[in-house]
Amino acid sequence: MRLADRFRDPGDRALAILLLAPAFLLLAAIVVYPIMRLLWNSFFDLRLSGGAGPTFVGVENYVLVLQDRDFWKATAHTALITLVTVPGALLAGLGLAMLANLPFKRRWPVRLALLLPWALPMAFAGLIFAWFFHSEYGVVNDVARRFGGDGQRMWLLQPNWAFAAICLTIIWKTSSFMALILLAGLQTIPNSLYDAAEVDGASKWQQFRRITIPLLMPSIVVALVFRTIAALQTFDIPYTMTRGGPGDATQTLAMLIHKTTIEYLDVGYGSTIAVFMFVLSLFVTSPYLRRIGSSA
Amino acid sequence: MKTWLEGGSLRLLAAAIVVVNGFFPALWILLTSLKSEAELVSKPITYLPRDVVLQNYVEVFTHQPLIRYLINSFVVAAASTLLCLVVAGCAAYAIARLGLRRRQLILTCIVASSMFPPVTLLVPVFETMRSLNLLNTYTALVLPYTVLSLPVCTLVMTSHFQSIPKDLENAAMIDGCTRWGALWRIVVPLAAPGVFTAGVLSFVNAWDEFLLALSLNAVASMRTLPVGIAFYQGEFSFPWPVISAALVVAIVPVAVLIAIFQERVTSGFTHGALRG
Repeated sequence: MRLADRFRDPGDRALAILLLAPAFLLLAAIVVYPIMRLLWNSFFDLRLSGGAGPTFVGVENYVLVLQDRDFWKATAHTALITLVTVPGALLAGLGLAMLANLPFKRRWPVRLALLLPWALPMAFAGLIFAWFFHSEYGVVNDVARRFGGDGQRMWLLQPNWAFAAICLTIIWKTSSFMALILLAGLQTIPNSLYDAAEVDGASKWQQFRRITIPLLMPSIVVALVFRTIAALQTFDIPYTMTRGGPGDATQTLAMLIHKTTIEYLDVGYGSTIAVFMFVLSLFVTSPYLRRIGSSA
Repeated sequence: MKTWLEGGSLRLLAAAIVVVNGFFPALWILLTSLKSEAELVSKPITYLPRDVVLQNYVEVFTHQPLIRYLINSFVVAAASTLLCLVVAGCAAYAIARLGLRRRQLILTCIVASSMFPPVTLLVPVFETMRSLNLLNTYTALVLPYTVLSLPVCTLVMTSHFQSIPKDLENAAMIDGCTRWGALWRIVVPLAAPGVFTAGVLSFVNAWDEFLLALSLNAVASMRTLPVGIAFYQGEFSFPWPVISAALVVAIVPVAVLIAIFQERVTSGFTHGALRG
């Protein structure tokens, strides 16, 4: 058979290889190779700013990271953001999904109201909420004043309040992602289950506990896993709201990696911190990966 | 859920909560952008603009490189979406149609790659792009964005390809179509909804991305919208009149896109459109 004929009518196997090749090449170049390179770099003193080439330093970077107070502070901030915003967004998202699942005559306003925050860039949410929390002209302080507060709070300039403002912004921004996934899950629950429970005299709360929550569990798990991975990488919102400040009070791990690598050009040390983050997110994903792996 | 929510007014209240929650930041920034600078820095603050002025919009289009950022964002998002649709479409077709023995494993591999934190990719990708002299080019962003959306797009398109009866394709091939002909005339048109879903998801992903754009394309003329607008803000000053007008201009394209394709996008979430 001539080559041209083989191209015009390829066998299943040859075609499959041909069609899968681009995807796997891209994944190899932009995911697998970088991860290898990351591990490799973490054993070197590699600074792009100086003239000297990379020097092998063994585990010295790892020892330095473990002694680095900035690293531990950034890790603590990241962990706290994750522990506050993931459950927060889940609760807010569940509420929004339950409300949005009611039988409205026109569905589009509600649907669009969930899609808009989801599609809004994180960086824009950060900028908009920074304006809300502006100490002089922000609407938050203005509302506080109307309700009898002094309305003088310097939200983004005090460590704890800056942290609270950032968490609130993240919860608002990500709850719509949660809501959209949970809404998709809610719509697969057949109404007949609720009707049957109604006949058996179950209260609304019992229906919620015994029907909605168990059947929604798969969606909740998926939403939690993906939100947790994203929360561990929090960057855009604190960066646009406070640049990690005041001082480094709101600096996250991702911001530390960005600063070390992109601003100080210390690739070796930045890679080592990134390896720690990689391991951290592996802890979150591995149970989930094992599950989708075993269902294969 | 019946009875107590049967009442129309309570249902209206529920809708109002969701709608207000979704729209208030965008609405507030729109109102802000219509106020004059003098009004923005007067206290007590006003909610509705006293006089509607378009000065801020004139400013962002004439004195700020907003058009440049718009073009950059659009080029990067469109190019990575097209590339992603082609690559993911090919992979999805192979997984859904070609009776491979390990197809679930292949799909799992591709989907699992979406679990790698992009932040950890930042360092090596930055280093590689720098050594290839690709920093501050469209390529530097198009390639990573394509890969970031690849898992979602493959997942969505695989499930759409699987829903097309194989007999249709076989019938076309019996009638004398080549495999490519059958693909182009039968499979692609029937899978169009899935392709649109994947396309919008990947476009929004690219339009929203911040960290890579900030790190790889830092030169002012190559910034995308989120990075460009974030840099309007100086160390201690926030030029809010300009920022608010620029934000409105930047939000409108994506808002229109999701308004048009809202059903397609929502269906993406049933197929696992997963980026938190």
